[in-house]
Amino acid sequence: MSDLNDKQLLKVLRDRLDERKSYETEVEHLSKELQEITRKFKESEALKSHFISNISNEIVNPFTSILGLSKAILSVEKQDWKKVVSMVALIHSEAFNLDFQLRNIFVAAKIEAGEIQPNVAKVNIRSLIQTGIDSFNIVSRKMGIDISLDFNIEHGFGKNYYFKTDSEKLKLVISNLVNNALKYSFKDSKIIVTVWVDEDILYFSVKDNGTGISEKNQKIIFERFKRIDTGINSLNRGHGLGLSITKALLDVMGGNIEIDSKKGDGSTFTVSLPEARNIVDGFSGDGNDIFFDEGDEIF
Amino acid sequence: MDKNYLQHFLYPSSLFVSKDPYLVKTILGSCVSICLIDKRLKIGGINHFMLPNWNGNDLASPKYGNIAIDKLVDKMKYHGSRLEDIQAKIFGGGDLLGSTKENSIMIGERNIRVARMMLEEIGIPIIASSTGGKKGRKILFFTDTGEVRHKFLEKQTY
Repeated sequence: MSDLNDKQLLKVLRDRLDERKSYETEVEHLSKELQEITRKFKESEALKSHFISNISNEIVNPFTSILGLSKAILSVEKQDWKKVVSMVALIHSEAFNLDFQLRNIFVAAKIEAGEIQPNVAKVNIRSLIQTGIDSFNIVSRKMGIDISLDFNIEHGFGKNYYFKTDSEKLKLVISNLVNNALKYSFKDSKIIVTVWVDEDILYFSVKDNGTGISEKNQKIIFERFKRIDTGINSLNRGHGLGLSITKALLDVMGGNIEIDSKKGDGSTFTVSLPEARNIVDGFSGDGNDIFFDEGDEIF
Repeated sequence: MDKNYLQHFLYPSSLFVSKDPYLVKTILGSCVSICLIDKRLKIGGINHFMLPNWNGNDLASPKYGNIAIDKLVDKMKYHGSRLEDIQAKIFGGGDLLGSTKENSIMIGERNIRVARMMLEEIGIPIIASSTGGKKGRKILFFTDTGEVRHKFLEKQTY
């Protein structure tokens, strides 16, 4: 040590100073991270309690309508079938909504519990998407909104295109996007669902001509429990989970979602989804071939 | 060895705890898995998280270390484990992207740090580990004995 000349000594000192500085910045960085996390936790607690009140509306209101309407049907004169039909239609739409929201909530609970995993099969994409859209038929007809499917895949047998993915999750993704599009569309407008494939990646987009989303809001719509209360038809409905569930589901399937929107000029949500591999990193989906290797270390 | 164990493949962002003897397999890159073992009840649990801390925006899922660790410990307790009987083994946190100190991504490094810090805070001893490095790992975890078979994988993208 004592043999250092001035230049070397300076260098050592400078190095130590730099090292210390880098530790300091790291500590600073970590404490900032910690503060941010604490803030987020607090905010999320507040959102969660807000969510509980939203959700009880979401469940209680449809139930009240269903109970009231079915009671009313019981006391309607038997000849007055037109009245009965219209009430049954209302019951159906309330029950449909309830079912859809409950599905979302249970999936969110499953994701948060770490119990979700891909369930891959060959899926007929056209029929899956068409079924997803059709399930909103009654709602969309009531609102005078036309949902059209633009299916741009020329492939496979006849008009069917098969793609390896998780059908249940994909269906929920589509339902959520269509539901949102309906919620934020003007009466008597159009929603266009487009499907295409590019290099083994499945794309589909849902385009509405509704209110659109400002750039600022585009950043927060995927956050859980966040809702933007500008929906024309929304009557402030919803629990704010739809898009965060969509994102989490796509995460499980290795997909992605992007938004293109201008305030007042409609929104387009585009999903990209790679085809699932049957074999996940050397593991077949049915779980029957876990081999031991010679090279295994044992802990 | 392979008396008919039930088998489970653990996907990222999920976790698994079982009273029945299971053989759990998972593949780790920069992700980290914590195996918790209860010698008294002979039950085990494992998580597989991708990022260290929850950002507060996404669903609060076990994709994030701080959530995955809390949830795993909770689930062990739910199955009857006492905290003092639980031991941990941690794996993963490799640096497959070859990040350097300058670009400060070091997800693997930060994942490991969260794991060690939180386990210490909760009071669970780490009895074995294989973390860091430049390679991915394949691990097989026997939930009843707590044995982990571990193998490095040749560099690939995960």
